[in-house]
Amino acid sequence: MQLAMTVFAVVLGVTLVVAVFGFLIDRSAAGHERKEGR
Amino acid sequence: MDPTHLHLLLNHVPTVGFGIGIAIFVLALVGRSNDLKQAALVIFVGVALLTIPTYATGNAAQTHLQDRGEVSDGTNEGMVTLSLIETHEGAAFLGLAFMELTGALAWLALWQFRRTSNVSAGMTGVLLVLSLATLGLMANAANVGGMINHPEIRGAEEVTAFTGHMGRVVGDYVRDTPWTWIAAETIHFVGLSMLVGIILLIDLRMLGFMKQVSFAALDRLLPWAMLGFAMNTFTGMLFFAAAYGQYTNNPAFFWKLIFVLLAGANTLYFTFDRSWALEPGRDAPMLSKAAAVGAMFFWVGVMYWGSMLPFIGNAF
Repeated sequence: MQLAMTVFAVVLGVTLVVAVFGFLIDRSAAGHERKEGR
Repeated sequence: MDPTHLHLLLNHVPTVGFGIGIAIFVLALVGRSNDLKQAALVIFVGVALLTIPTYATGNAAQTHLQDRGEVSDGTNEGMVTLSLIETHEGAAFLGLAFMELTGALAWLALWQFRRTSNVSAGMTGVLLVLSLATLGLMANAANVGGMINHPEIRGAEEVTAFTGHMGRVVGDYVRDTPWTWIAAETIHFVGLSMLVGIILLIDLRMLGFMKQVSFAALDRLLPWAMLGFAMNTFTGMLFFAAAYGQYTNNPAFFWKLIFVLLAGANTLYFTFDRSWALEPGRDAPMLSKAAAVGAMFFWVGVMYWGSMLPFIGNAF
């Protein structure tokens, strides 16, 4: 059970970090589109 | 051709090839040339892809030398020692991690450029610093690696590097802790889903499905695919470091690497494809459709050879 919880916590943590990166990249792309009036 | 020859051939790419890339990048900044900047970014991505088989063939070469009895445990004077090889491996491990990060950011800069005809000053600065750090780390790996093949430059003292035996430390940790491999495996599948899911969606649109969806909208998904690829590259490094013997003797692994390189070249082609500017409802040109079929074949091939690791060869 402890192993399952550890794996779950690590996977969740990494996924959240990746999601933050993805969000930042997407927000930057959206900013450029607004500037270009697309 | 044995893996030693292949490694000796490939190991010039992350040093000499990457150095040429940095020189072109600096020239592009000085001369304010967008064409040169794009060329340098393509070289960064290409070298990052080729560094993966360079690293993998390194461990294959080690196994080959050990099988031939040409590696000593440190007692036979004049022979290559295991410690020297593991010092080289450690330096290369950190160099590979930095190289893949640089390659991923270079791809992101190319993506940014296609959309805005400009790479932001922040991204340019980060890439310059990161690429120089990567070249330094690769030079460190090459310096130690050179001593393996050139006894004439090897001194009597043990060769050390600030990276120590990092590859072995990380590999042994992954192998010996119960949660690391399982967590990395799960993350590998999350990354695979992000990467292949998005790529297949784009390929289907290129082939004429879902024509009401604009290419510009799909284009926004691409960085998520690159994040998936980055997750898989780093978790793949952990698997390889933990049990390289199960990969270096496995034909499925080398086929997987070949398909990763082909899929990477295909991805680079799509960076410059003209379909992205098409309006919703328009059909992609025939060349783009052919490249989309290629992408589907290569990425499914990567998954296929990955799945075949336990069944062809001797893994796990």
